Amino acid sequence: MRGVKILERALAAIPIMLGVCIVVFIFMRLIPGDPVDIMLGEASNVTQEEIDALRAQFNLDEPIHVQLTTYLTRVLKGDLGYSISRSANVRDLLLEALPATVELALSSITLALLVAVPLGIMTAVRHRSAVDRTSMAASFLGISMPAFWLGIVLILIFAVRLKWLPTSGRATYGFVPTHVTGLYVLDSILTGDVPALKDSLRHLVLPSIALGAAPAAVITRVIRSSMLEVMRKDYVTFARAKGVAEWAVILKHVFRNALIPAVTVTGLEIGSLLGGNMVVETIFGWPGMGRLVVDGIFSRDYSLVQGAVMVYGFTFVAVNLIADILYTWLNPKLVIGEKV
Amino acid sequence: MIHQRTLWKSHYVIFALVLVLVALSAISGCTREEPEPAGQTLSLVIDCEANRKDEAEAIASQLRQIGIQAEARTWEWSAMKAEFMAGNRQLYMTDWGSSYFDPFDLAIPKLVTGERGNYSFYSNPQVDDLLTQATSATDDETRKALYHEVQDIIYNDAPWVFGYCLEEIAAASTKVGGWRVSMDSRINLHDVTLEGSDTITVGLGIDKIVTLDPGNYRDRDTETVIRNVFDALVTRTWDGQVVPEIAESWEIPDPTTYVFKIREGIRFHNGEVLDADDVIFTFERVLEENGIGGQTSPRRGLLGPLASVTKVDPYTVSFTLENPFPVFLQALCHFQIVPKDYVTEVGDARFAEKPVGAGPFMFKEGRLNDQVVLTRFEDYYGGSPELPPVGPAGINTVVFRMMPDPATRVAALKAGEIHIADKLPPDMADSLMDDPNIKVDSVPGTRTYGIEFCLTKPPFDDVRVRQALNYAIDWDTIIATIYGGRAVRLSTAFIPSGFGYNHDLKPYEYNPAKAVELLKEAGFNVSLPGR
Repeated sequence: MRGVKILERALAAIPIMLGVCIVVFIFMRLIPGDPVDIMLGEASNVTQEEIDALRAQFNLDEPIHVQLTTYLTRVLKGDLGYSISRSANVRDLLLEALPATVELALSSITLALLVAVPLGIMTAVRHRSAVDRTSMAASFLGISMPAFWLGIVLILIFAVRLKWLPTSGRATYGFVPTHVTGLYVLDSILTGDVPALKDSLRHLVLPSIALGAAPAAVITRVIRSSMLEVMRKDYVTFARAKGVAEWAVILKHVFRNALIPAVTVTGLEIGSLLGGNMVVETIFGWPGMGRLVVDGIFSRDYSLVQGAVMVYGFTFVAVNLIADILYTWLNPKLVIGEKV
Repeated sequence: MIHQRTLWKSHYVIFALVLVLVALSAISGCTREEPEPAGQTLSLVIDCEANRKDEAEAIASQLRQIGIQAEARTWEWSAMKAEFMAGNRQLYMTDWGSSYFDPFDLAIPKLVTGERGNYSFYSNPQVDDLLTQATSATDDETRKALYHEVQDIIYNDAPWVFGYCLEEIAAASTKVGGWRVSMDSRINLHDVTLEGSDTITVGLGIDKIVTLDPGNYRDRDTETVIRNVFDALVTRTWDGQVVPEIAESWEIPDPTTYVFKIREGIRFHNGEVLDADDVIFTFERVLEENGIGGQTSPRRGLLGPLASVTKVDPYTVSFTLENPFPVFLQALCHFQIVPKDYVTEVGDARFAEKPVGAGPFMFKEGRLNDQVVLTRFEDYYGGSPELPPVGPAGINTVVFRMMPDPATRVAALKAGEIHIADKLPPDMADSLMDDPNIKVDSVPGTRTYGIEFCLTKPPFDDVRVRQALNYAIDWDTIIATIYGGRAVRLSTAFIPSGFGYNHDLKPYEYNPAKAVELLKEAGFNVSLPGR
């Protein structure tokens, strides 16, 4: 029964992705500008014939519904099209950028959770203490600090001044691990390449902090407030009255029940992190999805943006599904597909 | 029943809201479209992209000082272009680059009637005629005279507010020798040396390069990487002079024929010998429709009227043009020679992944959006004898890193992670000046920046208004404050690095009194501050 539900939800992703794809297809064509125009640039002597020939080559001279049909037919065959601005298959471009983004997103969220969970619990338990107040002030700072500013400050302190960590990039030349999954940390573990593992971890630290600061702050606040709410519940008082040890009350009775809102928020944060953050990727020279997509939008690279949006659609559906499954595990009374 | 009534009520509320909205939009619409009575205020909107917002704001405030109602508006490029090409805008900040060191790819697209880059809709039959003559004339003196005449005419016609030409700035570690910024913004690493390391890392100011196939790109950054792997028949000195590279010499028996003698003994990285067949193949795959991987090369147009390339003997090729094309040699600097046998054997796609050239460095590994690694080609023929040193490159390994954020490039240069930081904004370059381990270099750029008028509509169909605006803007202050003084004022749309630039023609001076006089003549109510 549960398996069927999960499958149902997974299949529901298909119409969502298709819908998103069509909407993006139309919107991209509504914004002014044309990929050929941008590709040929402003710099040189280009004739109108040359422009027309290129437009015809990429089927841009056809009516929009014909273009859409051609595109959808291709997508169904698994062909995401050809990126005009990068002269490459969209599939290859996405497969190249996605691991970089996934790696950064996972490390940011791990970092965020490592900070947020203990801090959230501590601030709730020591409600109104100095720890609580300091953490809340810090988390306020975390939410308010723009990632690009934090990124530059981190680079200036840890890379330029202290020279502890590299300024940018994913790996130093010579330390790129053999390609297995495209996730450098995982690849270097799989191939047992210790120097590469060290190098890729060093490259991950600063961007992960820049990107993870805001989610860490948000999740801390959510865990704290939700814990505070649960701590007032009767069953917590009852557990204490039974003589359950305080740590067990907090972790087993309070924390577990307080986790549902945190899972929701974390899911959303992961979803948006997996979309890539153009600004942070630009600052840290990180070749991820954010830069790819923003550049695709500016160069009106229709197939590239459409392909990327489908990946986004899929990611969001998947992350939400995982969150739903987690809800039922946290609270067995819940059923997948029903509102929490 | 109650439910029904509330529903009705909510309809009323919505109806009232819609009415209010319509009324509001009508009022705001009226104020916006209120016609300017003649002899009244001149009100202008200056359109710009985000990178020139400060400049637009400064100009608007200068114009307001003489009573012009001016404001700046920021756009995304394509949206702005679509609007001004439809004739819907008044004044728009644009720029245009020239890669041939000749007005050929600047003045013609920007000023000839109906050309692609003619955003101001400028049309002057005399200018059209002079520029056409200058394109096909073969005698340099004649061409120079023609270009000078064009500059005089457009100076007076003032189809734009003529602006400036920014310097190209880059910085390098003091350990780097033999390096300087080149006017064509290509980085030549063959002639560079590095103290204390055999690997040089270059931070490029871009997100990605497009390809490693010399037949399939159109941008300068991609060429910077490609030109270190491939050599062309000819190349340039840093200040734009054409010198032989793969070609040993050339002759121009008549204006439509160029005969090149190819240096013997040049080998590609895979050992293949470079001869006439490779040169012909290189140009044919660009000229041919669908010639590269089933698609037409985006570089086709750069070859102008090139009709065919033929083999005279194994080391001599002849290029035939349909009509004279004085910038042909300049164009050839950008066409790197590819190995015929290798490309035919592996195919275009594979060639772009594993490029093989005859340049000083061999492609080793890399990703176009991350970093590209090259290693020294030991059997390099030495490169252009006019660009010493001659011989294999001085450096063993080259790493090009894509670093789109200038602050990161500066930080990485300071931290010693990269040795050359390309494309720096003036303020950041200044911050590096104090660092004893870093040297900053710059050259005049090849891009003209200005503000184009929509000439087909009032008020800019009146030459007095156009000239007035040229007098009303204090460019020197703008260049000093916003661009750190790192720009050259332009007298017209021509740039100093290009052929035929008239150095005697001085830019419009900042003269608000003159601007006010001209505007009053044209019937506008303006006045000098304090009067």
